[in-house]
Amino acid sequence: MEQRLANAWRMTVNEKKFIETALLSDLRIDGRRPFDYRNLTIRFGREDGSSEVQLGQTHVMGFVTSQLVQPYRDRPNEGTLAIYTELSPMADPSFEAGRPAESAVELGRIIDRGLRESRAVDTESLCVVAGKWVWSLRIDLHILDNGGNLVDAANIAALASLLTFRRPECTLGGEDGQEVIIHAPEAREALPLTVHHLPIAITFAFIGDENTVVIDPSHFEEAVMGGRMTATLNANGDICAVQKAGGEGVIQSVIMQCLRIASVKAVDITRKIEDAVKSNNTERALRKIKRHPPSAVVDVIKAGQKGADNLLEENMEKPKQEIEDTIVSQSDDMDIETRSSNQNESKPRIDKNTSFIGGPSSWDPYSKGVNVDELKASLASRVAALPSEKMDTAPPVEPRVTVTDPPLTSTNAAPSSEENTGAGQQTNKEKTLKDAVKPKHKRKKKT
Amino acid sequence: MESKPSNSLSSLIDQQVFPGDVVLDLSKMANQTIKLGSGLRQEGDAISVMKAGKLRFAKPNKYWVESSHKRYVPCAGDTVLGIVVDSKADNFLVDIKSPTIAFLPVLAFEGGTRRNIPKFEVGTLLYARVVKANTGMNPELACMDASGKAAEFGPLKDGYMFESSTGLSRMLLNSPTCPLLETLGKKLAFEIAVGLNGRVWVNATSPSIIILVANSIMKSESLSPVQQKIMVDNLLQRVQ
Amino acid sequence: MEYVSPEGLRLDGRRPMETRQLRAEIGVVSRADGSAVFEMGNTKVIAAVYGPREVQNRSQQINDKALVLCEYSIANFSTGDRMRKPKGDRLSMEISLVIRQTMEECILTHLMPRSQIDIFVQVLQADGGTRSACINAATLALADAGIPMCDLVTSCSAGYLNSTPLLDLNYVEDSAGGPDVIVGILPNLDKVTLLQMDAELQMDTFENVMQLAIEGCKAVANYLREILLEHTKKLESCRGV
Repeated sequence: MEQRLANAWRMTVNEKKFIETALLSDLRIDGRRPFDYRNLTIRFGREDGSSEVQLGQTHVMGFVTSQLVQPYRDRPNEGTLAIYTELSPMADPSFEAGRPAESAVELGRIIDRGLRESRAVDTESLCVVAGKWVWSLRIDLHILDNGGNLVDAANIAALASLLTFRRPECTLGGEDGQEVIIHAPEAREALPLTVHHLPIAITFAFIGDENTVVIDPSHFEEAVMGGRMTATLNANGDICAVQKAGGEGVIQSVIMQCLRIASVKAVDITRKIEDAVKSNNTERALRKIKRHPPSAVVDVIKAGQKGADNLLEENMEKPKQEIEDTIVSQSDDMDIETRSSNQNESKPRIDKNTSFIGGPSSWDPYSKGVNVDELKASLASRVAALPSEKMDTAPPVEPRVTVTDPPLTSTNAAPSSEENTGAGQQTNKEKTLKDAVKPKHKRKKKT
Repeated sequence: MESKPSNSLSSLIDQQVFPGDVVLDLSKMANQTIKLGSGLRQEGDAISVMKAGKLRFAKPNKYWVESSHKRYVPCAGDTVLGIVVDSKADNFLVDIKSPTIAFLPVLAFEGGTRRNIPKFEVGTLLYARVVKANTGMNPELACMDASGKAAEFGPLKDGYMFESSTGLSRMLLNSPTCPLLETLGKKLAFEIAVGLNGRVWVNATSPSIIILVANSIMKSESLSPVQQKIMVDNLLQRVQ
Repeated sequence: MEYVSPEGLRLDGRRPMETRQLRAEIGVVSRADGSAVFEMGNTKVIAAVYGPREVQNRSQQINDKALVLCEYSIANFSTGDRMRKPKGDRLSMEISLVIRQTMEECILTHLMPRSQIDIFVQVLQADGGTRSACINAATLALADAGIPMCDLVTSCSAGYLNSTPLLDLNYVEDSAGGPDVIVGILPNLDKVTLLQMDAELQMDTFENVMQLAIEGCKAVANYLREILLEHTKKLESCRGV
């Protein structure tokens, strides 16, 4: 009994009273105002469909995986969506390992209702063979650190992972046309999910007197609150779900006021999620580009050579000069990349490789939108030229080359015929381009 | 008087040491009694370090390793802030962030007799002193100083308590006063109680002052004295 | 499918603002300290309350309040198809949590420290609105057990189909896929303690539907008061007062 007492986290009477007194003058203990959200950061992992959300001190990770299963009998042409939450004892000393506690189940159900009942994810598009095979999505949410307000953070993690998830494309084939063939992502581009709208969960806590409402409670405020209400809305102003499971009673007008505030916040958060997903999509597009064989490179490079010299000093951020700049960059890798890496210290980049291979990707031009063809051409040209850099063997360049090489070889090693031809083409181009590009290289290095 | 037991030791005082470092070789020293504080242990003739931190020496003969953690290892003579968890017939059970819960005898108050036992409800914040802290036993507290006077010990009313690391608490209790508290004190009026177990209590007339002081202390964990002063000046300017 | 006919009648002949027929009985489980059966149309729920009694699990004891535990289970035979797992699944756990927190709000727990109050709710016939019926039954059972409460808790559900707010949905209307709003209030204090909503609704429509549900709750509260009054009178006459 004493051991258990020593382990629990406690609140003093003073803290409880202070939180309530401070709220009377509209102050919260971390300096926020009653309707301010904490800092929200959304990051993505290397795999499609994995996201990491940090809301203040609360840290949640979400993963989406899919599987082909048989559909439910009463819904033969709809896919399924299931949410599993994992409240590990690492996150909070009061969580216990083993059976999910009530709070874990409630968390899962709130997010589940918000996504399923409001039909945010189009389940009919997940149907492959009606009545026989449908895609079943499984969203796993892992709570890593409980700083309060798990529902909101977990919901954002679930949405972010759903938006970046790509399911493999499958076609019907086989002898009787009933067999489902799943294509590997290298062979056929994986498809994103159809998400109609984003239901955002906003949690309010009622502390002390019923008139004191705060948004996004931290875990101190959660320990003190008398009741909580979670409203799930989307940016269009539709209310997707409301959950107020008992707790302190409040008058109707307070509820309506909370819903109105929530709709404003929902727009804000939707925008943040969409921005994060967009920048992640750009990154992933660049990663994918490597896999495609370089085509029509020679013309582009020839055109670029003429302008290469003039463009050395010009601002690299002009999108028009992307192509020429990338060629210039091959020789000026050192300067340009150090500059760009300094620019981008604030941008969250999980994949170290992209900052090297996708040297251009760490420039600003790509944030304005990616012109895929230009990208393909430019990256292909630098892929071709990189091996030629090796031969120049200027010492500072080498370390970079060795880093870029392994990822190149790893993608080239993917077992699909396209890759092999791509590599072959690269080596061919090497011979044709070397002569064209090499003299420029040397000149640039001297200056 | 301070003797130089060995060359290696004198160069190690106030230096960073790591677990496994041998700081004292008893065979080289004459007959001396040495007090080992936290973080040091004796292995035959060698005194070696258990925790990473700074080695400190206090006259006449006390050595210990100072490190900063989120949990507290109780040490006799420390002043701590505890939270009452339960009350039994003889003791109050008080939580001081130590591995085991601490006992506070009901009579350990100034003028405490069986007739005037104080009543603390669960969750009361107390400023107390650690009397005994042997390994394997629950630490014992007292709400009076060594001579039996109350001297500021006892329950703390109102205000706001927050948790910090043990290193931060020690820095706040430095003499001369750490620049953070000095700068804050010049402009704001507040009361502060610091427990060496990583708890700090602040009280002031208005909640905004309390929140300001609390947040600035929490933020100064990793800042140098100069940076602390700058941060506090910025905060105060923004508020006033 | 048409849920509201042009004349304004629903599938079972009710008007949009009518609740189903309510029926309640108190004191049905002889071993329990308090019990009640509550029917809303075809939905039938039985609730039993044990307490205040000694806390069974010492580690859960709260020093200054009573511990309230709730278990919600659906009988296998209550729905059309036989159910596989009556309790322990996530839906039951969530509803148990919801009912517990709602009842905890009205029980004056600080008058009974270090004790435990158990509320068991079992659905015998499920025809929509089971959650509301459970809360109403639990309120009656708590009153029967004489546990001090600050107010009755009543609950009612409402929906929105064919552009009309409908009160007290039955199973067919519930599974139509339209929005479903469940409200629980403390009628004397006029405060909302339980609010759950599914599917999509615009903000003003939501306000109307919630208002309708609150009116329904107040109607249920009146009925509950009548029942309790009758029951108390019966007890008095039994004792020959």
